[in-house]
Amino acid sequence: MSRQANRGTESKKMSSELFTLTYGALVTQLCKDYENDEDVNKQLDRMGYNIGVRLIEDFLARSNVGRCHDFRETADVIAKVAFKMYLGITPSITNWSPAGDEFSLILENNPLVDFVELPDNHSALIYSNLLCGVLRGALEMVQMAVEAKFVQDTLKGDGVTEIRMRFIRRIEDNLPAGEE
Amino acid sequence: MSRPAHKRPEYHKINKDLFVLTYGALVAQLCKDYEKDEDVNKYLDKMGYNIGTRLVEDFLARSCVRRCHSYSEIINIIAQVAFKMYLGITPSVTCHNSSRNEFSLILHKNPLAEFVEELPAGRSALCYCNLLCGIIRGALEMVHLAANVTFLQDRLKGDSVTEIGITFLKKLDEKKYRRKK
Repeated sequence: MSRQANRGTESKKMSSELFTLTYGALVTQLCKDYENDEDVNKQLDRMGYNIGVRLIEDFLARSNVGRCHDFRETADVIAKVAFKMYLGITPSITNWSPAGDEFSLILENNPLVDFVELPDNHSALIYSNLLCGVLRGALEMVQMAVEAKFVQDTLKGDGVTEIRMRFIRRIEDNLPAGEE
Repeated sequence: MSRPAHKRPEYHKINKDLFVLTYGALVAQLCKDYEKDEDVNKYLDKMGYNIGTRLVEDFLARSCVRRCHSYSEIINIIAQVAFKMYLGITPSVTCHNSSRNEFSLILHKNPLAEFVEELPAGRSALCYCNLLCGIIRGALEMVHLAANVTFLQDRLKGDSVTEIGITFLKKLDEKKYRRKK
């Protein structure tokens, strides 16, 4: 299948700096709106969920990825196709659980945190928590209930940024996913 | 003069849909925070201004743009280089007056509004993409070009195109073109 030809005046590609700075404005606004970091984290996750629910349609239409048959295949698609498409990076996949229901995405660099320094009064803020919501929302639309959470973050002094993914269950087809 | 050294080893090219949906979440949050459309518009402009003052550093470091000798030249760089780099579109440019300080950027496609079919109910005065006005104004101010930037037409309000008006407020002065250090 050929991809839709780009019009002369439009490209699907953009440089990531505007996204990074706009995301920073969003986080700043949420920190003003909510008194504590936990509420900001929750709201970022909720926003990310709503974004993921819509982004997955774009992703499936744009990539040639068919249905994944297991969580390992899903991990490959997330790391090698989706992150590359939407964030311009390819995280590595590590730390599989023996049962094959948990893995980690290791981001050597996270474009969302370019230009960002975490102030001391926001030590509990999970700055890029939108990404966890995006992952959860997108996977729910393909019938996978998962948990996604940051377990390492370079903004907090860790050597890498790590998102831990855990498969919870497959979602029955007759229960439509909805917005939170 | 050699190009300044890159601050980072790589520049990310990304599909813009995550950005567009994230922008939608930002606008939705501001609509929750503020009752009046004028306040949302004001805060989008203010946020955009802050973004523009930082984005222009990235732009100057990465493009080969040097001293510009006319407002027309500046507008063409905004349309053909900056919009292309950061939004993946190339607006058309028109000039409105004989003193050549009033211009428009015509966006035949507006990527920020791609997932928006209409303005939310009760938000008819919302300038959905007002962040862009602030960005342009902030970026220009960092290179000592004061400008008014406003939406003159908006497809979300029923117009056939989206039009951003840019009016430069000061006479061109060569000395002021040195980049801020």
